[in-house]
Amino acid sequence: MNAMSEHRPLTASKGNGATVNLAVAHRLEAERLIQWFGLAENLPRGEFPWYGNEDGLSLVVTGSGVERAAAGVRCLHERRPGCAWLNLGIAGHGAAAVGTGLLIHRIEDRSTGKRHWPSPTGLKLPGGNLITVSEAETDYAEDAAYDMEAAGFFAAASRLVAPDLVLVYKIVSDNPEHPLAGFRRGQVPLRFGARESEIRTLVAHLRERGSRFVRWHSLPTEYRQLLGKYHFSVTRKSALAKLCRRFTALGLEQKIAVLASKRYHNAGALMAALEAELAGAVAPGGTGSKESAS
Amino acid sequence: MFSAIYFESAVRDHPRTHAILRRYRDLPQIECERYGEIFNRKSQNFRLQKENPALILARKHGGKVLPAPGGYGFDAAGSHYFSHMLNCIYDCRYCFLQGMYRSAHCVLFVNYEDFAAAIEQTLSDPPLPKEDIHRNSCHSARSRRISSSTLPTRSCDSAQDDGVVHLPTGAGEVASGAGQVFYSGYDCDSLAFEPVSGFAEYFVPWFAARSRAILELRTKSTQIGGLLKQEPIPNCIIAMSFTTHAAAARWEHGVPAIDKRLAALRRLQEAGWPVALRFEPLLPDMKPDACGELFEQVFHRLDPRRLHSVSSGLFRMPADYFRNALKLYPDEALFARETRTRNGVVALQHPNEEAWLRQIETALFRHIDPTNYYRCADENTDSEN
Repeated sequence: MNAMSEHRPLTASKGNGATVNLAVAHRLEAERLIQWFGLAENLPRGEFPWYGNEDGLSLVVTGSGVERAAAGVRCLHERRPGCAWLNLGIAGHGAAAVGTGLLIHRIEDRSTGKRHWPSPTGLKLPGGNLITVSEAETDYAEDAAYDMEAAGFFAAASRLVAPDLVLVYKIVSDNPEHPLAGFRRGQVPLRFGARESEIRTLVAHLRERGSRFVRWHSLPTEYRQLLGKYHFSVTRKSALAKLCRRFTALGLEQKIAVLASKRYHNAGALMAALEAELAGAVAPGGTGSKESAS
Repeated sequence: MFSAIYFESAVRDHPRTHAILRRYRDLPQIECERYGEIFNRKSQNFRLQKENPALILARKHGGKVLPAPGGYGFDAAGSHYFSHMLNCIYDCRYCFLQGMYRSAHCVLFVNYEDFAAAIEQTLSDPPLPKEDIHRNSCHSARSRRISSSTLPTRSCDSAQDDGVVHLPTGAGEVASGAGQVFYSGYDCDSLAFEPVSGFAEYFVPWFAARSRAILELRTKSTQIGGLLKQEPIPNCIIAMSFTTHAAAARWEHGVPAIDKRLAALRRLQEAGWPVALRFEPLLPDMKPDACGELFEQVFHRLDPRRLHSVSSGLFRMPADYFRNALKLYPDEALFARETRTRNGVVALQHPNEEAWLRQIETALFRHIDPTNYYRCADENTDSEN
């Protein structure tokens, strides 16, 4: 997974569905991302401004606080479901130098005590813990980053996708030596600009993992065709998906194409034909197994 | 191998934790209260995690030594298993672990001394009546996993009573009269992580001092350096699993090549260690000829007369684990095949299963004494076998 550190254009998501959604709290945090990834604002704006490009990358500006972060995630999901999610933003820190970028390993919601554990990525990026607080932290009591959104973001996003596809990356904006009072808003894009390489790496990492995830669960094109040709109950629709996946897993894409081109009396007859074909094909010595015999 | 190290606060100062954290000083090291916070979270994706697994260092609290269900073990009233580690660094597609655990991270319980104390206590306890063990262990997911496994069983009578394991006449004599048996390598590979865990380095000498207790290390690893540095002991059996070359190439990711495993086993055998062979899982696509070739290779390298035991077992998995594995790997041919489910255990269909197995066994018996062999089968398998 470490091979993704070089910058590369995002591959088009059309067809593979490998969409990555970004969430930031403030417009200033979005500025560089909009520029780098060619994101355009989608209108009408609604409660949460959101941006997107044709490569399957979207961004929502949630506003400040846990609840706003969670609501912004849900809102973007309704508009453009993401395979993976990344929260980016600035944060205070008890020890790290200003400008340091941190991939967050542990999130603690100070108000509830609940902890979240973003999965390790294997990327060689500096990491650290984060505490989500309800008001800007000025004491910096712990060797951790402080923000106001990540706990809400992670809780919401990990209900929508596997938590292994949800990451949080923070850039230190203030610390005991450089307290928040002296921080100027105009510095936010500069801090992001200095971490462009890491941010692109994270987006590429999520896109790659998301693409694999989508591929694992993809269905052959015949599935949609068959849904259009016959009437399926909800149960049969699910069973058809399973059958189609079995054909694909066994390397029988051509056979399903042949069967799908025929005409059956109804969905039940089609399913029976698919099942019979599978039963014959997957028996040891059958024609369908793509495993080379031992 | 790992992408991060988590460690419980309770083991922060444990010497093994210190050593492992030093070893992995370049990885993120993340403190947690209990390993379950990470390992048992809902909605995790085992398959995604397997790409970047973490190591979790933890303390095992209860349940350090558990009875093997009835019908298992060298003696039905004296068989136990213990798991110092959860999950495996290898990635065998047929493995039940991917359907059993929510997480692909590896958990290493560093408090070996507490495991040893629990084993000591077990040794001093009177053995449970066989029927109690069976009754106590029949209904949990854990026991379903165990009883659908291939732990070597030497109790012919109970095996036939329960329909769990079929032993040819005489196989039960292999270790008859021995003491209680403790199986490792059930929720993990016993030796694969040895250079880091020092598991065998700790437990083999411990068992050496308790000659009536038997330790079985189940492995596909070639990490035998630690064992070769020790004097062999008769009550530690190294049992190695094999499938055919084609199956190994396709389904066993990250596992040492068969030839390397055989070389390791030969060195152990030559050094005087009791070694055992587990030909499993047998998958329907494995042709008897291919199995025969494997047997030729194996017994060209190993002395069959000095083998502790040989067994085989079909692929099978508790139905709920199979469902989980299928959800994770919908594109996997292994799980797309025709299956049968009996008593909650899924097996792959073979149209002439018994004849096929007999052919494989016939090839095997050209090399070994059948009395030294047993075949594991589905739980509550019909009497046809």
